[in-house]
Amino acid sequence: MRKNLTLIGFLVLVAFGMTIFTGCAKKKTVIKDEAIQEQTAPAAQTAQQDNEAARQVKEQADRERALREQAEREQAAKAAAIAEVNIRDINFDFDQSNIRPDAREILKANADILLKKGAAEIAVEGYCDERGTAEYNMALGERRAQEAKKYLVNLGMEASQIKTISYGEERPLDPGNNEDAWANNRRAHFVINGR
Amino acid sequence: MKKINPIAALILFFCASLMFSSNAVAKVYIDIDSPSFQQFPIAIGDFQSPAGSVNKSTASGIAMADDIKRYLTMTGIFNILNKKSFLEDKNSGSVTATENIRFADWAIIGADYLLRGNITQNDKELVVESRLYDVTRGELLFAKKYKSKINENKTIARMIASDILLALTGDEGEFNTRIAFVSKQNSQADIYTVNYDGSEMKNVTNHKSIVIGPRWSPDGRYLAFTSYRDGRPEGYVRNLKNGTDKKVASFEGLNLCGSFSPDGNKLLLTLSKEGNEEIYVLEIGTMKLTRVTHNYSIDVSPTWSPDGKKIAFVSNRSGSPQIFIMDADGNNTKRITFEGNYNTSPSWSPRGGRIAYEGRVNGKFQIFSIDEEGNNLLQLTFDNAKNEYPSWSPSGRQIVYSSKISSKNKICIMNANGLNVRVLVEKTNSSLMPAWSPRFK
Repeated sequence: MRKNLTLIGFLVLVAFGMTIFTGCAKKKTVIKDEAIQEQTAPAAQTAQQDNEAARQVKEQADRERALREQAEREQAAKAAAIAEVNIRDINFDFDQSNIRPDAREILKANADILLKKGAAEIAVEGYCDERGTAEYNMALGERRAQEAKKYLVNLGMEASQIKTISYGEERPLDPGNNEDAWANNRRAHFVINGR
Repeated sequence: MKKINPIAALILFFCASLMFSSNAVAKVYIDIDSPSFQQFPIAIGDFQSPAGSVNKSTASGIAMADDIKRYLTMTGIFNILNKKSFLEDKNSGSVTATENIRFADWAIIGADYLLRGNITQNDKELVVESRLYDVTRGELLFAKKYKSKINENKTIARMIASDILLALTGDEGEFNTRIAFVSKQNSQADIYTVNYDGSEMKNVTNHKSIVIGPRWSPDGRYLAFTSYRDGRPEGYVRNLKNGTDKKVASFEGLNLCGSFSPDGNKLLLTLSKEGNEEIYVLEIGTMKLTRVTHNYSIDVSPTWSPDGKKIAFVSNRSGSPQIFIMDADGNNTKRITFEGNYNTSPSWSPRGGRIAYEGRVNGKFQIFSIDEEGNNLLQLTFDNAKNEYPSWSPSGRQIVYSSKISSKNKICIMNANGLNVRVLVEKTNSSLMPAWSPRFK
C-alpha cells in the first residue's frame, strides 16, 4: 500500500511540475543588425608656400572662415531639430498605456534633442487604433500622452512646458484594417511649440 | 493522532489546486432567445367621411389609417391585421355608434382591438374623430376628437397612435421624441437631430471638427457634447432654442461630457486635469466642480440612474474596460459586468432596473442589457456588425444604437428584447453616437 502511494505521489509531482513549467512563456532572442556607420575623412588642407606675413594673414582669414562655417553647421543642426526629423513617435500595446522598453529608448533620444534645443513648449498627442469604443479611446489616448509626458519629466523636462492632447481613434497614421496598421496607429506623437 | 501521510497530502494539494486554478465561477444569468410578450392583434379601418349615414372611405381616410398603421408598427408590439381579411359590412348605420359594430365579425378574424374613425378637412382645418374598441368585451376604450391646421395629418396620426398605446400599455410611447446623433466624414463631424419616424432631419451644430457624444437635457432644451472646434477636446452645452453654444469644460487635458442629472441641474464630466482620467460632477448654474472617482485607472463614460442616486460608468481598474455602478457621491463602487473583456457605453433605462451597454464578443461588438445587480444578462444584437452606443427610449421599451458594417455607421432602433429592428438613419456620411431625447410636449 505504502509503495503504491509513493508511486502515485511521484506521478502527481511530475504532473504538477509539468503544468507549472509548460506554462512559462518562451523567450525570444532578437538579433539586431548594427548599422554600418560611414564617415568621410575631412578633406586634407594643402599648405600654401608664401612668405610668412601673407601666410599669417591667410591663416587668420582661414580661422575666421572656419569659425563661421562651424557656426553655420550648428545652426543647420538646430534647424533640423526644429523640423522634428529626429523626434520620433513611440508605440503602445493594445489597450495599454505603459511605456515599452523600445519606447524608452526613443523617449530618451527625444528628450536629449528637446533639452538641447530648449523648446519653449511641446504637445504630446495620444492616439489609439480604430477598434474599441470612441469615448474610451479618447481617455486611453490621453493616458498614453500622459505616460509619455511623465517619462519626459523624469528625464529632466519641465512639466509646465508639456501639454497633452488625445485624438482617440481619430486621425490614424495608417488607414489599413490589419494588425500592422493598428500597431502603427497606437502611438504618442510629439509636436514642438504646440504647432 | 496519526501523522498525515505527506504523499496523500500532496495528491490532495494537487487536486485542490486544479479545482481553483480555473477562472472564477461565471455569474449566473438568464439566456433568453425568444420574447415573452405577445403582440396586440389590432384591426384598423380606413377613416371615413362623417357625412350622413353613408360610410365612405376617402383618400385622406385611407392615408390616415395607413399612417396610424405605420406608427404602430414602429413600436413592434402590434400585429396589424390585413384589411383584406375584414368581414364587416360597409353600410350598417353610423360608423361611430358602438351598437352598430358587429364585434363577432372582428373577433373571428383574430382582432382583439378595433380602431375606427372619420376625417373631415377643408381649406383651413382638419378634424379627425377616432374610437378604439376592445373586441373581446365589445366595449369602447376611448373616443377622441382631434383638430389641427391643414396638412397636419401625420401629427394627428401620431397623436392617435400615442393614445392607442396609452390605452393599451399605460404609456404613450415614443412618437413625440427625437434622436440626436453625430454625422461624420473622416475627422469632420456635426450633430443632427431627427424625428422618431425618421422625418425632419435637422443640422444642429456647425463645428466641422471632431464631435463626440451628444446628450439631451431632461427638458429637451439643451444638448451637451464634446468638440475639438478650437483645437482640443472641450465640453459644450448648446441651447437648441436660440442656437448658442456655451463652453462648460475647458480644463487642461481631456474634457468629455457625460449625461445630465435627472433634475437637469448637473452634468457629468470626464476630466484629466489632475493627471488622471476621472469623473466629475459639474453644477451648471454655479459651475462648481466636484470630483467623484479617486482611482488610478481610466474612469470614463458616466451616466446617471433615473432617480439620480447612482452613476454607472466605465473603468479599467480591474484590468480591462468594464461597467461599474457607484453612489452619486462616489461611494460603494461595484462592478456589474463579468462576461467578456471589453464592456463600455453604459445607458440606464428610464424605467430603472436595467443598463444597456456594448460588449465585445468573438471580436465583434454587440448590444447587451443587464440588471443593476449584474444579473440577468441579455444579448440583444447578433449580426455581423459593430453594434455600439445604446440609448434607451423614454418608455424604456426601445433602444437606439449605431451599427457599422464595412466602414460606415447607421442608426437603428430595436425593442428592448432585441426584436423589431428598424433602420432610422442611413446616409452617405457615417451616422453614429445616437442619443434619445425626452418626450416633447
